[in-house]
Amino acid sequence: MENQDTPQIITHIEHNLNHSLFDCKWIPCSAKFVVIGSLPKGSGTIEIFEITSGEIKKVKDIERPNSFKCATFGASNDVERRLATGDFKGTLEIWDLEKSCQVYITKEHTDIINSIDGMGGSTVSCGAPEIVTGSRDGTVKVWDPRQRGKPVANMQPVKGETKRDCWAVSFGNSYNDTERIVVAGYDNGDLKMFDLRTMSLRWECNLKNGVCSTEFDRKDIPMNKLVATTLEGKFHVFDVRTQNPSKGFAQVLDSSTKSGTVWVARHVPQNRDLFVSCAGNGQVSLWKYEYPEQRCRIDSQGVACGVPGKLRRLQRMVVSTQPINAWEWNRDHLGLAVATSYDQNVRVLITTKLNLQ
Amino acid sequence: MERAFEIQKQVRDNAKTFQTYITDLQNWEAEMKRKEAALNGDFAQDLPPVRSKVKSEKPVQVKKPEKKIASSNYSAWEKFDVEKACEDIDMAEIGPVSLDSKKSQKEKQEKLREEAQYEKERGNAFVKQEKWDEAIKCYNRAIELVKDDAIYYANRGLCYLKKDSLHQAETDCTEALKLDPTYVKALQRRATARERLGSLRAASNDLNEVLKLEPNNIAAKKQLEAIKARMGTKGSKSKSSPTSESKLFKDILKPKVQPKIIELPDKPMKSQELSALEKWQSGLGEGITVMRPVKKPPHLRSKRALKSIPIQEIPLGKSSPEKLPTRMKIVEIEDNLGQGDTNNNDSNKLKNKSEETNSDIKVKGEGDTKLTSPESLKLITDSVVTEKEMCVHNLVPPVNSVQFMSVWKNLKGQGGVRSKYLSIIEPSKIPLIFENALESDVLSEILQILYEDKEKFREKSITAYLKGLCRVKRFSALAMFLSTNDKKLLNNLLEHCKTVEKCKEEEILDLKNKFEL
Repeated sequence: MENQDTPQIITHIEHNLNHSLFDCKWIPCSAKFVVIGSLPKGSGTIEIFEITSGEIKKVKDIERPNSFKCATFGASNDVERRLATGDFKGTLEIWDLEKSCQVYITKEHTDIINSIDGMGGSTVSCGAPEIVTGSRDGTVKVWDPRQRGKPVANMQPVKGETKRDCWAVSFGNSYNDTERIVVAGYDNGDLKMFDLRTMSLRWECNLKNGVCSTEFDRKDIPMNKLVATTLEGKFHVFDVRTQNPSKGFAQVLDSSTKSGTVWVARHVPQNRDLFVSCAGNGQVSLWKYEYPEQRCRIDSQGVACGVPGKLRRLQRMVVSTQPINAWEWNRDHLGLAVATSYDQNVRVLITTKLNLQ
Repeated sequence: MERAFEIQKQVRDNAKTFQTYITDLQNWEAEMKRKEAALNGDFAQDLPPVRSKVKSEKPVQVKKPEKKIASSNYSAWEKFDVEKACEDIDMAEIGPVSLDSKKSQKEKQEKLREEAQYEKERGNAFVKQEKWDEAIKCYNRAIELVKDDAIYYANRGLCYLKKDSLHQAETDCTEALKLDPTYVKALQRRATARERLGSLRAASNDLNEVLKLEPNNIAAKKQLEAIKARMGTKGSKSKSSPTSESKLFKDILKPKVQPKIIELPDKPMKSQELSALEKWQSGLGEGITVMRPVKKPPHLRSKRALKSIPIQEIPLGKSSPEKLPTRMKIVEIEDNLGQGDTNNNDSNKLKNKSEETNSDIKVKGEGDTKLTSPESLKLITDSVVTEKEMCVHNLVPPVNSVQFMSVWKNLKGQGGVRSKYLSIIEPSKIPLIFENALESDVLSEILQILYEDKEKFREKSITAYLKGLCRVKRFSALAMFLSTNDKKLLNNLLEHCKTVEKCKEEEILDLKNKFEL
C-alpha cells in the first residue's frame, strides 16, 4: 500500500486538439499557457489557453507557414513575456503575444531547431537574457535578443567532422553576470558542456543513446545536478558540483523504464530534488534524488571526485496512450503542470503532496 | 479487513487533498488574473552587456580611469580641483541611472498604487465583516506599497481602535494626520482613542479641530460635550482612571445605573455589619496596613525602575549565633518534652526552630534583657560548636533526602556533628534515603567526613558506607564528577578498609571500579 505522503499525479484537464503538439509553456505570472505545434497541412500554430475552474479556454492563436518545434519564455522578463520559438526551417522568432507579432526574427540555422532554452529574463544579476538553440544542422547557437541577426556564440563541429543532430540544449550555472554553461545533447549520445564565459568545451561524454532532453535542476545557481534523458528508456542524473579531471562527474543511471524513449525530464521549480520523467508509453514518473552522505570524496590521486546519490521513484502514472513530448511545471503554483503528447492532447496535471517530500 | 479500511481511508484522504488543491488552484487562478491585469507596460532592467560586444567594450572601459597623481607630486596636487572631482563622483553615481529610470519610475509608482488600492479595498471588505486582524494585514500591505497615503493609516487606525489597541490606533491616526492634517475621520478616530486612553484634553483638542473643519459635524459636537462633561465632573481624576468602554456606551448605561443605586438601601444590614471576610480584607482591628493590589493600565503605571530589595539568606540554625543560643536551647527542650518519642520527623522540628530563630531576631531589637534567665545567661557565653553538639542528642536518622539535606546543611562547618549524624544512618539504607537526589558536592562532603572521623564509623564500618553510596541511583554519573581530592580521600579510605576493617580484596576492587579509581 502507498504511504500517506505519496504524491498523486492527477490529470486535471485533458483537451484534445486536432493537430500535432510539440511544446507547451506556462506564460509567466498568469494562469495561461501556450501550446505550439503543427497543423496537418504543415503550417505552425501558437495557441494560448487559459485555465478557469477546471476548464481550459482558448484565448488566442497564431498561425504561421512553418511548423514550430520548441519554445521558451526564459529570456524574457515577466512583464513583457515574449515567447521565443524555433521552427522546422531553422528560424528563431521572438513573439510579442499581446500584439501577435514578431519582435525578432532570424534564420541562421539551416535545418530544424530541435530544442531551445532561455535564461536571464526574470532573474536579477544572473546574466544577460540569452536564448540557446540546438539544431539538426549540428550547431548550437546562443542569441541575445538585443543583438539582431547574429548569434553571440556558435558551437559547431570542426570542419571535416560529421555533423550530429543536436536534440537538446539547456542553460545552467548562471549564478552571476558572467558565468553560464550550455549543455547540448546529440543523437549519437554525445553530451557536451560548453562554458560560455571561457568559450570552451568544458566536458563531454557519450551516453550511448541519443540524448532527448537535458535540464539542470536550477539554472541560476552554481551548477548542482543535471538530468539527461535518452532513448531506450534511460536517463542519467549527474552530480555536477564536483568535476574530476579524469572521471568527470558522478552519475546515476536509471534504466528501469522499459518504454522506448524517455522524452523529457523536468525539475519541480519549488524543489530541485524532485523531477518528472516522461516516457514513451505515456507514463509519467516522479523521482526524488537522494544525496549521498558526502557529495564528494578525495580519490587515490588526491583529487576531489563526486559521489553519486540515489534515485527513488515516488509515483508513476500512465496519463497518455502516446509519448509525452513536453512537460512544464508552473513556476508559481506547486504541483501544477502542463504537458503535451503525441496523442494530440494537452493536459493540465496536478501533483499533490509535493510539499511533503 | 483492516487493510480494506486503510485503503479506503487512503482513497478518502487523497480525494480530500485533491479537493483542497483544486480550491487552491481556483483561488490562484483568480489571483493570477488580477496580477496579470496589474502588469503591463514597459519594464526597465539593468542588464549585462551583450556577450559578443563585451570584448570590444572592455578595452575602452579599462582606459577610462584617469592617471593617479603621485602623492609626492605637489605641483599637480595644487592644480587638483577637489570640488570638481567630488561632483564627478556624485554624477557617476546618480547621473545616468536616474535619468534613465525616470520614465519607468513613474509607471512603477502607478503600479504600486494600484496594488495598494486593491489591498485597501480588500481591507475595507474585511472591516465590513468586522474581521479586524485580516483588515489590518491588508492595510499593512497597502502601507508597505505606498507609504504616503493617509487613508491607509486612518483605516488601520480604525481597526486598532476596534481591537482596543488604543495606542496603536492613536499613532496611526497621527501618522495619517501628518500626511493630511485636514483628514476629519482621522481626527475623530484619534479623539476617540485619546478619550478612551484618558487624555481628555488632547481628545477635546482634536474634536475642536474637527469642528473647525466641519462646523456642522454633529457626532463630533456630541463627543466633545461628553468629554467636557467628564472633564468637569471627574476633573483630574479622570486622567488616572480611564474607562475602557466607549463614550457612546456610557451614555446609554448611565441612566440605567442610577436607579440600581437607589435600590441598594433595601438591604442595609449588610453594608453596616461587615462580614468576617470583609473585616479580614480591610484589616480592621489588626493594627496593620493592608496592601491593596493596584490596578492601573500599563500606560499609567509608574515609569520609575523597580526598587530592588536586598534579600538576605539566613541559613537555618547558622544565623547570627550570638543572638540565638538561649532561645534555641529552650526550644529544643520544649520539643523534647512536647513530642517525646513520637518519632516526629526532623524537618518539622527544624521548621519550628527556624520560626523561633526568626521571632528571636525580631525580639532581639527590644533588648536582650528580656531573655535573661540564669540558665541561659551561662549559655550565651558558650561557643556555637558546643551548643550545636548539644543538638546531637536530638539527631534522628533521616527517612528521605530532603530531611538529610536540611539537617546536613544545618550542620555545616561542624564536622563532629556531621560525622555523628552520618554514623546514626544505617549504611544499607543510604540508597533508599537518597534515591536519586545525591549531589556530587554532598558526596564529596560525606567522603571528607568519613575520612576525618574514621573512629566513629568503626561500628558500621566504612566499607558498608562506601558500598551503600555506590548503590545510590545514578551513582556512575556522580563518580564521574569526583575531584582528584575526593579520589585521594577514597584511596585512603579503601586502604583503611583493607588494613583496619579487613575487607576482602574483591570487595575493594569492586568499590574501586564503582568509584572509577
